[in-house]
Amino acid sequence: MTVDLWTMLTIAAMGVVTYSTRLGGFLLLRNRHLSPRTLAVLEAVPGCVLISVIAPRFVAAKPAELLALAITLLAAWRLPLLPTVLISIVATGLLRHFL
Amino acid sequence: MSNLQPAPAAAEFWRGLKEVFPVLIGMVPIALVLGAQAVAKGFHPVEAPLMGGVNFAGGSEFVAVGLWTTPPDLLLIAVMTFLVNCRHLLMGAALAPLVRQIPARKIFPALYVMCDETWAMSLADARKRGMFSLPYYLGNAAGMWVTWVLFVGIGAVLGPIIGDLERFGFDMAFTAVFLVLLRGAWTSFTAARPWFVSLAVAAPTYLILPGAWYVATGATAGLVAAFLLAPREEI
Repeated sequence: MTVDLWTMLTIAAMGVVTYSTRLGGFLLLRNRHLSPRTLAVLEAVPGCVLISVIAPRFVAAKPAELLALAITLLAAWRLPLLPTVLISIVATGLLRHFL
Repeated sequence: MSNLQPAPAAAEFWRGLKEVFPVLIGMVPIALVLGAQAVAKGFHPVEAPLMGGVNFAGGSEFVAVGLWTTPPDLLLIAVMTFLVNCRHLLMGAALAPLVRQIPARKIFPALYVMCDETWAMSLADARKRGMFSLPYYLGNAAGMWVTWVLFVGIGAVLGPIIGDLERFGFDMAFTAVFLVLLRGAWTSFTAARPWFVSLAVAAPTYLILPGAWYVATGATAGLVAAFLLAPREEI
């Protein structure tokens, strides 16, 4: 296990790509007049990506995973971040162990 | 206009750091999991926090670690990083009108640490106070960046000692955080309809296509839905 050149290059590429997304919208879109439709799309974007990234959880094969997701969903709906994370970890760990 | 006197920068920075604290506590388990999973996938314990500090976008780092091979597929990971982070384009655009007064030499480096949390918190703060506070934003970001790099590093060192973190359910912390972020962004069912479209497209894509295409198809479908469902243009 050593520090690897390809790993370094990949990390650097990720950094460049990510910074370009941070800077790009700011530079290219800042002087545009945004229509209500564009604003509606704008508001939906982060949620669309977040839900897409965790979508695999919703089609997990094991019942323990789906039950853990349901508990996490319920906690997230009602509770602040920290209790949600703790409940989620404990419920998932227990369900994986016992189911 | 001039009744909005900016508070001293140091006080604003501390206010940002203080208010981001609950978010930092929630970040810790996620950072630990990322560090541990990265090492399990073949990262050197130094490389994991390096990725966290250089890239500083957790979602894309989980995707990268998920797709990691030895040696890594640079192009695939770069494209997926872009797809996961393309929301920054619109976040940056939404931020732009609020930071017109701030010179480029300050805002360009500040944008390096724009992530979901720093963006959302500083925007909410700007709405509440009537002006965007750069030091407040930097206080948010400093807390986030240091905590992320530090605990990804700790996770990378501890991971091999603790063993299989998934067995204990730690990987679900990531989902929990995303769901809480979604809850925070929820305004109404009508506004959230594109999210359901994203989910309905991303989930089957995940089952059918390898790699992280589900992120791309789900996000794209959601955007198309948001565009089509949006209120009619008034010209």
